[in-house]
Amino acid sequence: MSSSPNALCFGYELPASGAPCLVRFDGQGLTVTFASDSAAGRSEEVPFTTLSVSVGGLDHDQLVLKWTGERGERALYLKDADLIRSFRRAAPESLHVPFERAAELARLVRRRRRMVWGVVAGVVLALSVGLWRGGDLLVALAVERIPPEWEQKLGESAYRDFLARQDIVKEGPAVSAVQEMTRRLVEQIPNNPYKFEVTVVKSDIVNAFALPGGYIVVFTGLMKKATGAEEVAGVLSHELNHVLQRHGLERIVKRLGLVAAASIVFGDQQGLAGLMKQFGVELMTLKFGREQETEADLTGLQLLYRARIDPSGMISFFERLSEKDEGRMEWLSTHPMSQGRAERLKAELAAMPKLSPVPFTFEWAAVRASLGVPLSAEP
Amino acid sequence: MRSEILYPGAFPMVRVELAAGEQIKAESGAMVGASPTIDVESKMEGGFLGALSRKLLTGEKFFFQTLRASRGPGEVLLAPTVPGEIVILELDGVNEYMVQKDGFLAGADTISIESKMQSFTRGFMGGEGFFILKIGGKGTLILNSFGAIHRIDLKPDQEYIVDNSHMVAWSATTSYHIERASSGWVASFTSGEGFVCRFRGPGVVYIQSRNPGGFGAWIRQFIPVSE
Repeated sequence: MSSSPNALCFGYELPASGAPCLVRFDGQGLTVTFASDSAAGRSEEVPFTTLSVSVGGLDHDQLVLKWTGERGERALYLKDADLIRSFRRAAPESLHVPFERAAELARLVRRRRRMVWGVVAGVVLALSVGLWRGGDLLVALAVERIPPEWEQKLGESAYRDFLARQDIVKEGPAVSAVQEMTRRLVEQIPNNPYKFEVTVVKSDIVNAFALPGGYIVVFTGLMKKATGAEEVAGVLSHELNHVLQRHGLERIVKRLGLVAAASIVFGDQQGLAGLMKQFGVELMTLKFGREQETEADLTGLQLLYRARIDPSGMISFFERLSEKDEGRMEWLSTHPMSQGRAERLKAELAAMPKLSPVPFTFEWAAVRASLGVPLSAEP
Repeated sequence: MRSEILYPGAFPMVRVELAAGEQIKAESGAMVGASPTIDVESKMEGGFLGALSRKLLTGEKFFFQTLRASRGPGEVLLAPTVPGEIVILELDGVNEYMVQKDGFLAGADTISIESKMQSFTRGFMGGEGFFILKIGGKGTLILNSFGAIHRIDLKPDQEYIVDNSHMVAWSATTSYHIERASSGWVASFTSGEGFVCRFRGPGVVYIQSRNPGGFGAWIRQFIPVSE
């Protein structure tokens, strides 16, 4: 047997950090041989009958043997598993019950600790999975709680801000054409909570965008590129549906994160404006997700249909956009490729009953001419 | 190896003399100076996973540095980052110490260091985090504190109460539980103590005379806020 110390002994005259000692058990009791300098080599023999057994130590994982000897109270701390086993073998029957009780307590502490950590880990895991998977649900819930007036205020400030820096087309055939399209589309929206406002902005950008609350900007570049009014009406219908489906709000709430979403769900709607400012979210830079684009396409197509505007204009416009799209991988982009969008819309349209479109009251060629496109020019 | 504390007080340093071939491990960045016979190596104590868990869990550094007297005997000067005392302990192979994450400065190569998960309440409210270092084995252990180090000796079943952010190291034979400083919740916090640790002997508890978190909060009020 090795003679290096295997236990710590505590007592009145021993160091507070414990005196390292060698403990041996025999049939009658135990022998403690001190190894520390002050008491080196000194031995104490303790009969089993004077021992009391308990557990101790930081994690309740040490066996504590206490007795009162010639030098007062003594406590022996054992943590070596072999030593504890040899105590169990040597100990008389009278100590078995207290030993088992102590072992049970140590196991209980260990089990309880495992259980607490298990519960904590489970809760953390459930929370993170819940936030991850339930994030969309929370966003949807939050968006539902934002009143349209508040959304309108949010969109309006961004809209005015944007327009202040732009060259606006105030009147003329282009403006009245866009207004007529918007009116015909908006008339077909049941229970419309928004007051849609459309502005034509002088720019070569072939685009249009919608802000939360019903603020829509159409660039003259889009009108110049469109071969017919139906194409522009198609894009408008798509943008109107971004507003109606509250896609902008969804993006903002997602961008701001779940904190914002939660604060809205639980009633603090004013806080969102502050949060947006804090996070520097700019409405203009918000991009819609693929699912949102697809949704706006489909509901846009249906709106065109109800307004009796030829939906094939929307489709042909996407097809022409897709010529520019070539080489772009669909999965890399948050916007589905225009060719794919056009295909889906074609299939959707084929499933609808045949439509007899009602033409617009204006001449598209004249509108384009007012924007400086020669009558003969190809778009 | 023989170690000696130089300039005891707020800004101490340890001189460790190493015989040829001897080596010690120290907290990364602890070396101030060394004889040319000493080689400095970084080592992931406990292997990659052990080092990673120590880094992630206790916030201790990923690498310890190993200082080896490869080319003959020499000396090493070591110092902690924060002002405060240094204490040298001799581990006897039986006694083990739990050390909060900033307390370890250096130790003989023969001591073992592992990170250990505390119980949830201790980790959550004890102020040491969920993981602490458990240091055992046989050899010299050098600890450092923020402020002075005070040693409290506890006889079996003797109790002592320590503010939770002042703990440096305590022997594994002690046990402690967290409790409110006063009997009422409000009084616990208005008294400025919040939670305290009630230690129960036998064993030794090393505490530091300054609270790093409290010092940080105090100094923060003098830092100009940049716009």
